[in-house]
Amino acid sequence: MARDPKYDILFEPIQLGPKMMKNRFYQIPHCNGFGSEKPMSQAYFRAMKAEGGYGACCTEYCSIHPESDDTHRVSARLWDDDDIKNLGLMCDMLHEHGALAAAELWYGGPHAPCMESRAVPRAPSQIPSDFEHLTYPKEMDKDDIREVQGFYVEAAKRAREAGFDIVYVYGSHSYLPQQFLTPYYNRRTDEYGGSLENRARFWRETIEQVKDAVGDDCAIAVRMSTDMFMGEAGTQLERDCLPFVELVDDMVDVWDINVSGISEWGEDATPSRFYPAGRMLPWQKAVKDVSKKPVLGVGRFTSPDLMVEAINGGSLDIIATCRPSISDPFLPLKIDEGRLDDIRECIGCNICISRWEIGGPPLICTQNATAGEEYRRGWHPEKFDPATNADNDVLVVGAGPAGMECAMILGKRGMRRVHLVEGSDDMGGIMRWVPQLPGLGEWARVVNYRKIQIDKLRNVEFIPNTELDADGVKDYGAELVVIATGGYWATDGLNGATHDTIPGADASKPNILTPEQIMRDGKEVPGKRVVIVDNDGYYMGVSLAEKLAAEGKQVTIMTHLGHHAPYMHFTLEAPNMHRRLHQLKVEMVTYQMPTQIGNGGLTSAHVYDEEHLTEWEADAVVLVTQRRSNEALYRELKDKVGIDTLSSEGITGFYRIGDCVAPRLTADCIFDGHRLAREIDSDNPEVPLPFKRERAVIEREAVLTA
Amino acid sequence: MSVLIVAEHLRGELRPITLELISAARELEGPVAVAVIAKDPSALTDAVDVEGVNEILSVKVDQEEFENDVYQQAVERLIGQREPQVILLGFTVNSMGYGPAVAAKLGLGFASDVFSIDGAAGGPVATRAFYGSKVHAEVEFPGHDRVMLLLRPTAWPPAEGAGSAVEEEVSVSISGSLARHKEFVDVATGDVDITTADFLLSIGRGVGDKENLPQFEELAGKMGAILSVSRPLVDQGWMPNSRQVGQSGKTVKPKIYLALGISGAVQHLAGMKTSGTIIAVNTDPEAAIFSVADYGAVADLFEVAEELEKLY
Amino acid sequence: MCVKQVAVLGDEVEFTADERDVDPDYLDYALNEWDTYATEEALRLCEAAADGEVVVVSVGPEDAEEAMRRCLAMGADRGIRVDSDAWLDPIQVARALAEVVRAENPDLVFAGVQSADAVQAATGTALAELLDLPRVAVVTKIELGDGNATVNRELEGGVLDVVEVDTPALLTIQTGINEPRYATLRAIKQAEEKEIDVRQPGDLGEPAYQVKKMFVPPKGEGAEMLNGSAADVAQKIKEIVEEHTG
Repeated sequence: MARDPKYDILFEPIQLGPKMMKNRFYQIPHCNGFGSEKPMSQAYFRAMKAEGGYGACCTEYCSIHPESDDTHRVSARLWDDDDIKNLGLMCDMLHEHGALAAAELWYGGPHAPCMESRAVPRAPSQIPSDFEHLTYPKEMDKDDIREVQGFYVEAAKRAREAGFDIVYVYGSHSYLPQQFLTPYYNRRTDEYGGSLENRARFWRETIEQVKDAVGDDCAIAVRMSTDMFMGEAGTQLERDCLPFVELVDDMVDVWDINVSGISEWGEDATPSRFYPAGRMLPWQKAVKDVSKKPVLGVGRFTSPDLMVEAINGGSLDIIATCRPSISDPFLPLKIDEGRLDDIRECIGCNICISRWEIGGPPLICTQNATAGEEYRRGWHPEKFDPATNADNDVLVVGAGPAGMECAMILGKRGMRRVHLVEGSDDMGGIMRWVPQLPGLGEWARVVNYRKIQIDKLRNVEFIPNTELDADGVKDYGAELVVIATGGYWATDGLNGATHDTIPGADASKPNILTPEQIMRDGKEVPGKRVVIVDNDGYYMGVSLAEKLAAEGKQVTIMTHLGHHAPYMHFTLEAPNMHRRLHQLKVEMVTYQMPTQIGNGGLTSAHVYDEEHLTEWEADAVVLVTQRRSNEALYRELKDKVGIDTLSSEGITGFYRIGDCVAPRLTADCIFDGHRLAREIDSDNPEVPLPFKRERAVIEREAVLTA
Repeated sequence: MSVLIVAEHLRGELRPITLELISAARELEGPVAVAVIAKDPSALTDAVDVEGVNEILSVKVDQEEFENDVYQQAVERLIGQREPQVILLGFTVNSMGYGPAVAAKLGLGFASDVFSIDGAAGGPVATRAFYGSKVHAEVEFPGHDRVMLLLRPTAWPPAEGAGSAVEEEVSVSISGSLARHKEFVDVATGDVDITTADFLLSIGRGVGDKENLPQFEELAGKMGAILSVSRPLVDQGWMPNSRQVGQSGKTVKPKIYLALGISGAVQHLAGMKTSGTIIAVNTDPEAAIFSVADYGAVADLFEVAEELEKLY
Repeated sequence: MCVKQVAVLGDEVEFTADERDVDPDYLDYALNEWDTYATEEALRLCEAAADGEVVVVSVGPEDAEEAMRRCLAMGADRGIRVDSDAWLDPIQVARALAEVVRAENPDLVFAGVQSADAVQAATGTALAELLDLPRVAVVTKIELGDGNATVNRELEGGVLDVVEVDTPALLTIQTGINEPRYATLRAIKQAEEKEIDVRQPGDLGEPAYQVKKMFVPPKGEGAEMLNGSAADVAQKIKEIVEEHTG
């Protein structure tokens, strides 16, 4: 297929300082959990995007010195020559695909707690970090300033040696250079604080020094937040940012423009729950209006039409992506080949970001099960080895996320016939009703993408409106059977806090409800006062609170924890979620656990003072206590019918995937279905094959005899 | 080329396809006769007496409404008598019931769903689609003196202008109708199948809020359209998936597709771009929907909707 | 039951050297959508009567048996294929089918209203003529009676014409008449094993038409823009709608 000419502009090369970028697709610096110490995973991960057509790929934030150590979070590091070796591999692999490599040189100041290096970070003023509340910086004197600027220069040289084409002097997200620029962080009274010219001095000098050191060989990129949304205390577009752009424009080869500080950087990495794509275009345009240099920026761009509009409308020269590059590294190629319906669009759930926020784990992606697995498991998002046991028919029972993914990948691996059988009238499983919660419409892309792909696969047939019982499965005629029957919310109040049910909790009563009863089954929420019992920890309780409050109910949401929806801090959704619920006058109750549910409401006890009981009046009680697996069909087949009987019917493989094994994130359900399909021809597909672990393995003898 | 047209009528009213057939016939520059087969042909002859029609053949039959065998026998008789070179029927449900039978019996040349005819070459060359409308082809009828063509509705405009046709009564004896009309049933609009609707009013993200939906449902009803939607409205849970036009919903091909507030994402266009006549209203002049629309207006959909409501 | 394996063209196309057909490399094949409904209807009638046999007949090359086996997998009892690799018009197809169908002496003959690739909507009615059977086209409901059947014929605009037709008869079946059942893998496998009876066509007569030239339709020039106030636009839309609803 051919590229639509209206997208030609996205494929025009552009000059960045001494380097030429082959098109307008730029993978902006973003974390993946690999850093410099899992160099193979890092390089394979970045190179996949280059293979997919990206013109440039960046490291994540790349520490220039042990004083900028973000442990437990994982950054890249360019501290010494061995880091050059490790991190440089990504440059080699990117260059093989004609992509530029960029290093986002980073010094965090007090936001980096230095829990491994035990060093002390430096900063313009001594105020504890608003992100890492226990970390105090050393207040920099002029010698400190020179030294730290020297760190940037040395790191830039190491970056050049490693093969990086672009080096950043990175300030966004309230890191050091931007700390100097911002009154909130900079209370200095010397020539590095006060007026704009003074506050800009550190950053300007650093850019100058880095440019002097490597500017002939590398393009100089500056990543700046144009507005921290903190009023006068924060960076502001007109007062600070635009003048700064004018001040240093000559020295900069490419501007990377975003918004927000660090404590609410969800204003930059916007969840789809709150913001549509292209949220930052107005700020990016404001910079482009005053700069003579190329401007790039992100906006959760997945639509080539929006990308073209951003460029033609004068907001950006280069389209940068982070999350859309994770969900589909092959976005540029697919646009180039006119295969727009093959683009696996980011859903803006921020599960990828949550892993970095937790600190430590590698990233995962709801839409793309191969994200992070490029080296570890050797998975390629677009390439599928034909299954060696393709001469088999597969029955997948249940077309939720796990079932759809499994059927799709089995189809792509060439299984003879795959029947994806679903009891309801359409694909999607829980992803049919979860996207109907307020703001989650884009999450339906999980279903849309798979529906389109499955439709294209000749060997995969989707069969709706068919509820199979154990006999139906046994007699279906498949050689391989995969049960993907999903999960459900407990109807009896069983929960992870007490490990018990809640007396009186019975969702068969009209005044007691579970999430799917409300969202999928249309069970009426009676009366006006609703109490939501939320022992879950992620979005379900608060999303229902928002929905019901917006519909006019008087909502109380009660959790045994000290925070509601703690996981949403990791997905950057918490601040705006709290604002929303506050606006809707939802009563947020913490440290309370129900002891009894009755017809008119419930009684709860304080988690740390069980004698202290509170009565709550409620017309409806919604149980968001925990999820359970729908394992009835699997159990009947395994325990009652028995594997031997199944074998005698010709069923040589019997598996289950997704929530019906154990409830988990949709990302993990999709991973589960994907893995089974990738490994369907291994000796024992039920057991995941070992994955590669990047670690030092010692020669014990050598160590002892040394 | 001499042309015989078979008029189509329902419940006493002439169907517009008949006038479209006359427009097509006029292009062929030969004598045009229109056959009106009905219980009371005189009630319809005025309506077919338009400019370009030379003769109106009134065939009185006993049956109130269309029946296959009646039309087949009447038309076979007329063909035998008048020896037209080209017989034009509409590509309609009625014609499907007898046209091919006549063609098989009399060994006529035959093509249906024709939307263009070239009469220059002595015999007609008809243009029709193949492979699900993805390609077009010119077809000819070598070895056939007489050709029957079923023409695509709305491909020609309805013929206008006062005519001066000569009316002739033709008597045909019908020897029994084996498929007999009993009654008509009007279908109530329940949960509809958008893939069979003739007219879809389709709304997209531009409608903004769930509260605005009833306004468009009402407008659709007034205009005689079925309401369909683009994906975002289904994602939000405002409408069921059965109403969704697009790759992950349904592919539709109505005669008229009126798109209000739909930008035209590739997946949506794939579901509707082969519709007959596409009219799009969007505030964004660059909206992709305009690239497949036949008619477009850069306007506010609410304002246009309000105005439309006044007209119906 | 007459079924057809139709050709499906994707988004890309190339033509044969003589420009009279699409290069077969660009074609995919599938059972005609109308035929799944017809098969389902036939199965239901036989199940309701607790008696009867559904025989599937098709004209085509050996590959076309794949489509026929879908019907067998749904539950049809037997299949007969009239062997032909040629481009046939609907009347030639009807001639090819006529002898086979006549020999079966069926109580009812079904065909789909039209095929998805050629969309002539003619084979069924032409076949009825050759078999000298009463017929109704575009049927959306069937009720069997004694010596006749009462069927609904779906007219444009959703009006239903209730027709009484003498039986045996030929009916062309419209989509949406029922919900076609799915075939389990077991049924599909069993259908693979079934023997399909192959016959040779007799004289198919002269073709009713011939393709002179096939081509990709020219792209439109873009939308004709309607200008003026919202009221003007609305007025024009109304006119366009009226012009195009037949």
